[in-house]
Amino acid sequence: MKNPKDAPARTRRAAQFVTAAVLGLSLAGGLAVAGAAAPASAASTSSSTLRVEADTAFSTFNPFLAYFNGDLNVIGNIYPALTTINEQGQPAPYLATSWSVSANKLTWTFKIRSGLKWSDGTPITAQDAAWTFNLIMHNSTAATANGALVANFASVTAPNATTLVITTKQPEANMLYVSNPITGIPIVPEHIWAKDVSNLGNFKNMTFPIVGYGPWIATGYVPNQYATLTANKNFFMGAPKFHTLIIQYFTNGDAAVAALRSGQIDEIDDLTATQYEALKSDKDIQLVPSVSNSWTAIELNPGAQTQSGKHFGNGNPALQNPLVREAIELAVNKQELVSKVWDGLAVAGSGYLPPAYPQWQWTPPASESLSYDPAKADQLLNEAGYKMGPNGVRIDPKTHQPLVLRLGIHSDETSDAEMAPYLQEWLKAVGIGVDVQSMSFNELNAELPKGDWDILSDAWSTGPDPTYLLSIQTCGDLPSNSQSAGNTDAFFCNPSYDKLFNQQATEFSTSQRVATVDQMQQILYHNAVDVVLYYPDNLSAVRTDDAKNFFYGTPAAQGFYPQQNLFINWSTATPVASASDSSSAALWVVLAIVVVALLAGGGILVRRRSTAAERE
Amino acid sequence: MTYLGRKIAAALVSFALLLVVGFVIFSLMPSDPVAALTRGRPTSAKQMAFLIKQLGLNQPVWERFGHFVANTLQGNLGYSWQFQAPVSTLIMQRLWPTLLLMGSSTIVSIALGMWLGIRSGWRPGSLLDRTSTGTAITLWSVPTFWLGIILLVVFASGLGPIPAIFPAGGMSTPGTAGGLTPAHILDVARHLVLPCLTLVLVIFAQYQMIMRSSMIDEQGNAYLLTARAKGLRDDDVRRKHVVPNALLPSVTLIFLQVGTMVSGAITVETVYSWPGLGYLTYQALQIPDLPLLEGTFLVFSASVIVFNLIADVLYRYLDPRVRRS
Repeated sequence: MKNPKDAPARTRRAAQFVTAAVLGLSLAGGLAVAGAAAPASAASTSSSTLRVEADTAFSTFNPFLAYFNGDLNVIGNIYPALTTINEQGQPAPYLATSWSVSANKLTWTFKIRSGLKWSDGTPITAQDAAWTFNLIMHNSTAATANGALVANFASVTAPNATTLVITTKQPEANMLYVSNPITGIPIVPEHIWAKDVSNLGNFKNMTFPIVGYGPWIATGYVPNQYATLTANKNFFMGAPKFHTLIIQYFTNGDAAVAALRSGQIDEIDDLTATQYEALKSDKDIQLVPSVSNSWTAIELNPGAQTQSGKHFGNGNPALQNPLVREAIELAVNKQELVSKVWDGLAVAGSGYLPPAYPQWQWTPPASESLSYDPAKADQLLNEAGYKMGPNGVRIDPKTHQPLVLRLGIHSDETSDAEMAPYLQEWLKAVGIGVDVQSMSFNELNAELPKGDWDILSDAWSTGPDPTYLLSIQTCGDLPSNSQSAGNTDAFFCNPSYDKLFNQQATEFSTSQRVATVDQMQQILYHNAVDVVLYYPDNLSAVRTDDAKNFFYGTPAAQGFYPQQNLFINWSTATPVASASDSSSAALWVVLAIVVVALLAGGGILVRRRSTAAERE
Repeated sequence: MTYLGRKIAAALVSFALLLVVGFVIFSLMPSDPVAALTRGRPTSAKQMAFLIKQLGLNQPVWERFGHFVANTLQGNLGYSWQFQAPVSTLIMQRLWPTLLLMGSSTIVSIALGMWLGIRSGWRPGSLLDRTSTGTAITLWSVPTFWLGIILLVVFASGLGPIPAIFPAGGMSTPGTAGGLTPAHILDVARHLVLPCLTLVLVIFAQYQMIMRSSMIDEQGNAYLLTARAKGLRDDDVRRKHVVPNALLPSVTLIFLQVGTMVSGAITVETVYSWPGLGYLTYQALQIPDLPLLEGTFLVFSASVIVFNLIADVLYRYLDPRVRRS
């Protein structure tokens, strides 16, 4: 007999199940429809979008305070500069159409382009440039980022709207590198910034769109995620080919590579050799190695000293002998480091200035070269009096101790960890023991000024003007006393080098300046205080189905492109018409299936619970 | 003193100790922030001197500690050296993404862990118990960043037949509008799936194991016999009598976890580029950015103290035995 209580219960359960099923199907259907619509809106290409990876996190778009490359790359594209750096790495006209120097070399006169307007319609004049420079010269907060670049300026004036006059205290040959996009001082609109001077230290400059002038206009920023730039159609050098530029920050390289692979981003930089190799199999991705603007070296402690010549620190005295240092350089096989540590994606080290800017690059003539020659290293060490001891380690003639040197490497740098065993092996082969000490970047930097080290791993990069990189090897950068840091790279001090350094700063003829800088590099090379191991390539990748003409120049002998400049890359990149990807449609189908399954499962559970009493 | 009064006094003592410990620990780190901040950039000696003065590095340690305590008590958490912004602003900016990620993963892992713990603790040794416990422990022992990268590679860039379903990083798709629109909410949800999944998989085991062992403990009690004799179904005995009693250890654990939620998950945020407080701490360690480190340390520790206090108070209401004592 049918239990009278069952009928309403069964109806209730049936109703529950039907409701759940209807809800589930409509939700799934809705999701599928939304999914079908989503790809269309994401790829809405009436306006093309270039998506690139940010170099670093973003912090501020205030050009007087910004340090991070992520910020500088944006600032360099939204504010103008006096000159720009062209594809050959040389200064070229930008806001300044031409320039001349007075006979006594102390006065520069720039002709400023007329007819340009800030993005709010106000004309750009020489007065904006004068105001910017004067602010940095006289306001210590404004000097935070770029004060050193105007340290030699005596006065900056704008006699009229199209003339800018800069007088310097000493002749300054590298004036044309002071105001460049990204690497130099950007010019800001006086009428916008004058009111923010009193609170300059706290001003983030994040009211969008930012009033400026350049190939791009900053129109948005989502904190800690991405910045949005829109092309400036009125840019006098030609509007960028893409309409929108999105610079997205990824906290780790592998995520950026995953994003590149799946098409969420179009271009990434700073790949490791491993990531580079892994991307080779993808036919839609073009890999671009470009010559380096940086070097990695080992620095050998020539004896830490203060400016007055007082010695301090416990660096091994053996390294004070240039023969020993040269022997160490001869013992190292730089080419093998390039192939083993960088898979060939680097250039073996020689001259002090890296190959990114060909005019400054110097390579030693074959007769002077210190390339791999362990036999010669043995010979030099014997000459210096370090006879081979019983365990294959040489003995110091003065202290009678085995010659064992400490090698400090960065614990947070994988290439350091990879190269250390090679160095250890090669130095052991010529009778020098090596004690590898791994420490963090901060710790190593804190150890350097104490002078308590023998060999340290070292890396530097340079912009188009080599002045700063050359300056860190001058006697002037030595610390004033043993407690302060000074700016010195490796306690190198050579009066001839310093004389040449001061000379090149005043040489206005490029060929003369190059010749002097070459002589300086020769001195550094033979003193072997910084043994440059290699210049690691900048490794980039771009999706060829989204953008073409991103990179410029023709690859040289080893297949390496010339040094790239984002100011140019972002403007010349051209959209490629392509089909919208169907991967997001797949997502919605998957989601729809998951939702239906969950609801069906939920429905079954509901049913089982309400009938549980009958089962028990 | 009342129970509440005693607990609050203890919390304040903890906080005072925090101020000292936090300052001392971070001051002991090798640091040359001026060199770290200006490395690679042309910097004159004059600029360096100005920076040293601006960052307060020329003051003796005692003076800096005094400023630190005075500022903290006034709610000023200091000024970040590398971001050149107030620490409290930086924390507030990243607070919502952190709470979203940690909140969703905590809720899901609590629900999942406790559900599994109840079921597996009720019938220990059953198939469900063995498989779920084994899976949970295995996932618990897997390094979080490793699991995160595996999921990222498989689902965000695609592997073999599996297409790239989820985004490879960030909290929302660049170029899309923000706000509380359904499209944006769905977008953020889509970005949230992988980081949340990673976190859930590696932490749900703790809720499951605690719940499971409390359930097993409760099963030996006499009141179960009474409940069954009354005619209650097995499921009802479990749901109405055993689970409420077995909940207490789990409640303590939940509050401990919720207290640490604010500190974010450094490894997950780093793998998925999630703009949270965990990654901020990592960025602070780079320089090291002492004001930022001290500020974040204070906020995270204070959060743990506050939630422990709430747990203590709540325990009194949940467990009548504590009330009577």
